[in-house]
Amino acid sequence: MKNNNLKPEMNLLRPFLGDVVSTLESTAPYGAAVLSSRETVKYLVDNKQERVIIGDPTAGAILTAFDGHTLRERAIGGFDKNDLLQGAKDLLRDSSFTKNGSIDPGLERKHDYQTTMENDPAQVPTSEKLEYLREMNRRVNKIDSRIVNARISYVEFREKSIFRNRTANLSQDVQRVHMSIMVTVMGDKGVVFDWVSKCGTAGLEILTFTDEELETVVKNAIKLLEADRIEPGEYTVVTAPGVSGVICHESFGHGVETDMFLKERAKAANYIGRRVGSDLVNIYDDPSMPGAFGSYFFDDEGVQAVSTQIVKNGIFERGLTDLYSATVLGIPRSPNGRRQDFSRKVYPRMSNTFFGSGDTPLEDLISQVENGIYLPKMSSGMEDPKGWGIQVSCHYGFEIRGGKITDNMFSSIGLTGYVPDVLSSVSAVSSDFNLSGGYCGKGTKEVVPVTDGGPHLLMKVRLG
Amino acid sequence: MLEEIKQSLKNNPEIKAWNVRHVITRGSQQYDLAKTTEAVRQISSEHYTIDILCDSLDAERKPSSGVGTVTILPGGEINQTLEQAVLTAQLVHNEPYDFPEPASLPDVELADQEYLKDPPGSIKKVLVSLKEQTASYPHVRLTAAECFGQEKTTHLVSSKGINAQQNATEIYLQWVYLAGEGEEEVETFTEIYQRRIADLNLEEEATRRAQYTSDLLLAEGPPSQTGPVIVQGGSLASMVAGEVLSGSLIQTLSTGEMKYSGETPWKIGKSIFRGDIKGDSFNIWANRQLPYGMHSNAFDAEGIPAQRIALIQENKLEAFIADKRFASYLDIPATGEFGNLELKPGKTPIEELTREPHIEIAEFSWFNPNPVTGDFACEIRLGYLVDGKDRKPFKGGLLLGNLLDALADVTWSSETGFYSNYLGPSAARFNHLQIAG
Repeated sequence: MKNNNLKPEMNLLRPFLGDVVSTLESTAPYGAAVLSSRETVKYLVDNKQERVIIGDPTAGAILTAFDGHTLRERAIGGFDKNDLLQGAKDLLRDSSFTKNGSIDPGLERKHDYQTTMENDPAQVPTSEKLEYLREMNRRVNKIDSRIVNARISYVEFREKSIFRNRTANLSQDVQRVHMSIMVTVMGDKGVVFDWVSKCGTAGLEILTFTDEELETVVKNAIKLLEADRIEPGEYTVVTAPGVSGVICHESFGHGVETDMFLKERAKAANYIGRRVGSDLVNIYDDPSMPGAFGSYFFDDEGVQAVSTQIVKNGIFERGLTDLYSATVLGIPRSPNGRRQDFSRKVYPRMSNTFFGSGDTPLEDLISQVENGIYLPKMSSGMEDPKGWGIQVSCHYGFEIRGGKITDNMFSSIGLTGYVPDVLSSVSAVSSDFNLSGGYCGKGTKEVVPVTDGGPHLLMKVRLG
Repeated sequence: MLEEIKQSLKNNPEIKAWNVRHVITRGSQQYDLAKTTEAVRQISSEHYTIDILCDSLDAERKPSSGVGTVTILPGGEINQTLEQAVLTAQLVHNEPYDFPEPASLPDVELADQEYLKDPPGSIKKVLVSLKEQTASYPHVRLTAAECFGQEKTTHLVSSKGINAQQNATEIYLQWVYLAGEGEEEVETFTEIYQRRIADLNLEEEATRRAQYTSDLLLAEGPPSQTGPVIVQGGSLASMVAGEVLSGSLIQTLSTGEMKYSGETPWKIGKSIFRGDIKGDSFNIWANRQLPYGMHSNAFDAEGIPAQRIALIQENKLEAFIADKRFASYLDIPATGEFGNLELKPGKTPIEELTREPHIEIAEFSWFNPNPVTGDFACEIRLGYLVDGKDRKPFKGGLLLGNLLDALADVTWSSETGFYSNYLGPSAARFNHLQIAG
């Protein structure tokens, strides 16, 4: 088996993992061993400073023993063979397992996976990366003298893992990159900012910005100095892919992570096979999407990445599972068992979650709006899986009048509504598609990289 | 291994200054569902994080300083890793600065001695207590709870002579309450971070959350009005001090880094507010010495001792919060990390504060104002319409406004509370805020 850029100490331990799993399964019905390393390096160049920040290390082994009722785990920092063997003994010594039932370890599979890249960040010197950021900072500052600061940040994440159970021996080397340009201007109203970003599972080749993209972010930052607050009320809106994505993430993303079913937190649990939106609404989660920021080859429990359709033509089909929730609920697995890092437990988590595209050209969709609001940029969202309320914060929006987007800008817009009402109001879906990357937690913890997005949507919602 | 790392650092003449943080972490986690335990985990880790400061010349041949940071796991390669850090430090060009000198460290209480006696047993006991407490509320059901405990020991040594150690604990508890049945079923979700189990205030919090949950069953649609809004407890703490794991608007606008980059309009000796101050005066301390505060420590990552900084007094900015580097650039004292937010209480008892008709917001979906302007439009998860006689629950709608404007027109309670990273009034009446129903 070829070893693909894994850490040498991980490769040294790999041959022993099969024996560790056998040891675990001498007592527990199911055992698994994972070696996980996640490294983050952040580069920052702005008008006054430069930084290279290496994130806290998260490298270690996870030993899992499961009897269908309770998961028992030991998470051990580093990759020391003696620590690993001792950890397995400690885990079995401190645990008792019921023997009824069996846990499906999946099909026999062996594979090493690696992100396809044209320009691997690991092969590019730090000096070149810093110079690229400096050049980007110079490009932005040239656009307008009112810029107070142009903060250029670039983050690279390298996730290397080995998964071993009775039937699987898998490794993956996933490279994620993320670049953000934040422009700050100051006026009578104080300080305002706008940003543009790009990200993916890829190399540095995706991190290029056109002059038009940079000019737009500066123009919008300056425009924010004069933006009004919107009059609260119900509006016809067109959501750009980033805002559409947050709506599906907060509605049929978090609310269908099936640990929420076990915790009785998900209203969706009672809606399987029932209508939750208009015929035009299709929602997917797909960790196999090439190049997307939330993609991976297999989840943290060794399940191959494939697409899952959550909502089909407005009907709720199924949720996203991990080993525990699928076992206890007796429902099929999806490749969504993810952990923040080796020190945290697996939960069912989203990966790339999006609305499916429709067939309406964007111009035709906007031309249908006599009076409304175009929402091009989100800033955050919050789920309410039991109440099916939704909150999406949008950085700004533009008035649509007579089927055209105007220059009249409103800022800090809150979008709220009752999820089935919002999704049922979707009356047109554009034919374009885009994903936005970011990070998602459960409550305030368990942060994992994700994307969300889709096409433009025409709908009715409450804004404030 | 620490001695080996120190020796390698001392032997490298290209290094101007360094510090090493040796961090050992031990944790216990338990995840419970209504009738079973979902998972039990034990965690251990250890690492050395090394900051290396080098001087070099920038592209214009001006003197500059840069830092390279690396992390080494026990048994990891030392010399090659340190070389990487030196290379990085020499490529990063900033105005010259230096690392902090040693200073006497205060005693700050950070560790829960009761928890440390039996970590797995302690968190199990918390979950048992929560279940027992919940049994007192027949109208709600506990459907899930997670409790984590962590002990973190940090030993910091530096080329300047700092040699300090601190031991801290963190306790995290979350739980879900349900009330009602079928389509009418409602939930509340609670998360609490503290350094001590005792500070979870389990009985009080469980009682409050159980009441909220049953009130949600009766909640009607939101009103649309502008007027006084009361916010209490943890919701007030998150409004003023921000979430435990993220910063607040006040923290962002008071950093030396933002001042240096020209991104904060705040000036020393000037009011932080844009207009007239109509309410109580605003007095804030950035306090790392607060006993068992979530952001307390004896020393920060650079080794700067914990302080209680008078940040805003009588509405005027008194100081910027800066590490050694930005303090050098701005020629101000280095304060180190922000720490916890301590707010001076007002003179009005809660009973008087809540006497007139008002709206009370018990819980936001997420109070997340724009991080530099303070504008907000946040969904209300649970509120109460109080007319002096009745207290009617409602849910939904948006609270609209600007946080700085809101803080300029507020009456603070005389009663105080401690909520993870906040010590201050336990209630506030914002005198003029808009609710959009």
